[in-house]
Amino acid sequence: MAKSSGYLAELEERSKRRQEEFLNNIRTRLGRSSNTPVHPFRGAPDFWLNYDLTQQERIDLFMENWRKVGGEAIQVGSMEEAKTYISDVTQTMQARYLLCFDQPELVEMKLAQTCPGTDVTFWNPDRESELLAKAAGTDIGIGIVDYAVAHTGTILAMSNPYKGRAISLLPTAFMAVIKAETIRTRMGEVLKEVRGLHEAGEMPAGVHFVTGPSRSADIENDLTIGVHGPGVMYAVVVG
Amino acid sequence: MNTAKLTSVKDRAKVALNDQFLRNAVRFTTEKLRSGRKTASQDQGNWEEWRERGRQIRLHTIAHLDYYLAQFIENARAQGTHIHFASTSEEAVEIAMKIAEAKQAKSVVKSKSMVSEEIHLNQALESAGIEAVETDLGEYIIQLAGETPSHIIIPAIHKNKQQVAELFSKEAGQQLPADTTILAGFARAKLREKFLEADIGMTGCNFAIAETGSITLFSNEGNARMVSTVPKTQITMMGMERIIPTLDDLEVMATLLPRSATGQKLTVYMSIITGPRRSQDSDGPEEMHIIILDNGRSLQLGDPEFQELLNCIRCGACLNACPVYRHIGGHSYGKVYSGPIGAVLTPALNGNVAEWDDIANASTLCGACWEACPVKIPLHDMLVYLRRKKADQGYTAASERAAFKGFRYVMSNHKRYRLSMKMGAIGQTPLVSNGVISAKVGPLKGWTSHRYAPSLAKQSFRDSWRALDLDVQSELREMDPDIQAKMNQIVESRRKGGRTHG
Repeated sequence: MAKSSGYLAELEERSKRRQEEFLNNIRTRLGRSSNTPVHPFRGAPDFWLNYDLTQQERIDLFMENWRKVGGEAIQVGSMEEAKTYISDVTQTMQARYLLCFDQPELVEMKLAQTCPGTDVTFWNPDRESELLAKAAGTDIGIGIVDYAVAHTGTILAMSNPYKGRAISLLPTAFMAVIKAETIRTRMGEVLKEVRGLHEAGEMPAGVHFVTGPSRSADIENDLTIGVHGPGVMYAVVVG
Repeated sequence: MNTAKLTSVKDRAKVALNDQFLRNAVRFTTEKLRSGRKTASQDQGNWEEWRERGRQIRLHTIAHLDYYLAQFIENARAQGTHIHFASTSEEAVEIAMKIAEAKQAKSVVKSKSMVSEEIHLNQALESAGIEAVETDLGEYIIQLAGETPSHIIIPAIHKNKQQVAELFSKEAGQQLPADTTILAGFARAKLREKFLEADIGMTGCNFAIAETGSITLFSNEGNARMVSTVPKTQITMMGMERIIPTLDDLEVMATLLPRSATGQKLTVYMSIITGPRRSQDSDGPEEMHIIILDNGRSLQLGDPEFQELLNCIRCGACLNACPVYRHIGGHSYGKVYSGPIGAVLTPALNGNVAEWDDIANASTLCGACWEACPVKIPLHDMLVYLRRKKADQGYTAASERAAFKGFRYVMSNHKRYRLSMKMGAIGQTPLVSNGVISAKVGPLKGWTSHRYAPSLAKQSFRDSWRALDLDVQSELREMDPDIQAKMNQIVESRRKGGRTHG
């Protein structure tokens, strides 16, 4: 590590030395003083900020948009029903490996018991060394996501020690469990929540918006699903 | 098809125009993307207001770029990101190589980054014996083919399935069928290995957010997420103008970019990455570097004609809208950035009008690029400025200069003009058939080799003027008395407060 930190110190020193010259060049070319600018147009236009839907409208619009981009969507009344749905999917798809966010509600589902023969792993710092390899071999990743956006049919998963980024990325399929009250109309509302975390000094390293299964049209414009990320995306809205 | 060695846009376009598949593919794809953009912008509604807001945010940010860049740097450092500055592409390459060397890297996985294409990073990595793998499916295809991207969003637009199957078969060591699902499946498996063994992940940066010190990445395949999740070290290449002030502004950019690029409401993945993994996290990079690149960008600052160039959000809508791009494809532009944006950006970044000005001529100045642009960059005006610069600096052909001298001589005196028109009308006689000139001779050749030139009229408008003038005068005098009476009546009734057009 000695060599590694040595090169970092050298680059850091060089960066600090270059910074002023780099920024001064920009300021001089712009003919600007170093005043703090007034920010006249921030974020979306006003008419957009007034766009709001009722909770059921949000749920319906989210599910409609999610399906349009090729995702599976279902609304259930309770976590118990969500558990039944997840077990059904696991068994129908003959999934052998599940990798879940380490969240109390998911642990309580006891999926290993309801789906015999299935290996269920929870993302936890205790298992750091094995988690990435595990994710690469997982059939279905499962997590209660932070938010969803109705207007674009998008879910939001934020990383933390118990919610690895790889879970919504490396497995063949991903199951997003969404609490109905976390569905917002516009993306801006969710971005405000993210800013709140930043201001509280709790900004996650990875904030990932996901809108349907991974796709590509790079070979002759033929739509291909599941190029690098999951090819099957489930959304279970609870509430 | 390697056209980079041909020196002018005309030569490269000739090659492209002879490739029937390329022309069809480019036309088909750009048409699809263009109609996708139209539908998506209509569905969103109030599109002009969104564009205007996008433009205002970009204008404001670039006008205060030093301020927002400084804010970004401070916040990124506070999250543990290492920031580096590169004035030139050589400097950016040198910094990246230093990091790779310290990490004793054997392989680097890359998600799409136009900046890394711009600085030719892959060549540097390869000559140092480090494997550089492009992981965007389209970029992977052209990397195997040893080519450069021909479209900013769909880099392998010019390759057909058979060609892709051939390239992948060589890589697989067995014959693969020309079937999209199988080919994509092969790429997924092959690249999965590469992600898991790579020492460094390298990304571009769609937007950098000043208030949080984050970078954002938009992708559909998920490779940008792979590259920023699996390897232990991440290097992000960022053009210095990629900044937006706040997360609120990201909503506007996220509304404009995917709709303009592919007609999607949002790309499948939009990632906001802020610093390396936190101490308790089990994935994400342990070390994160951002290299901020100037490379000619600052030359545009303070230049009233070209500063708006830095507002570009790299969506590719202008390529799809451009009638010239749709015919000749991206490689004809001869550089990393193609289409209308490339035609202006390439000479601007190089500060080199002499060498690259000829791509400024690859435009009809129709303004379709400006209409499509989500941040309303007046590219067609900039193309005119470039042509003017070229003329001012004396880079026009001798024949063109002679022609304009002659034009001035003739046009500045009405007697000379009249005489030359008369002589022209007589002189053209052997060349005219059916009212047009198609002979490819003399100074007419540049025009007539691709289309007809109109012949000079037998009687000029000037000559006809006296007769026309007399006609008009006499018509005015001979107004029908009935109509005259009717009109008088109408005027009278208005005066009395009757019906009006108010």
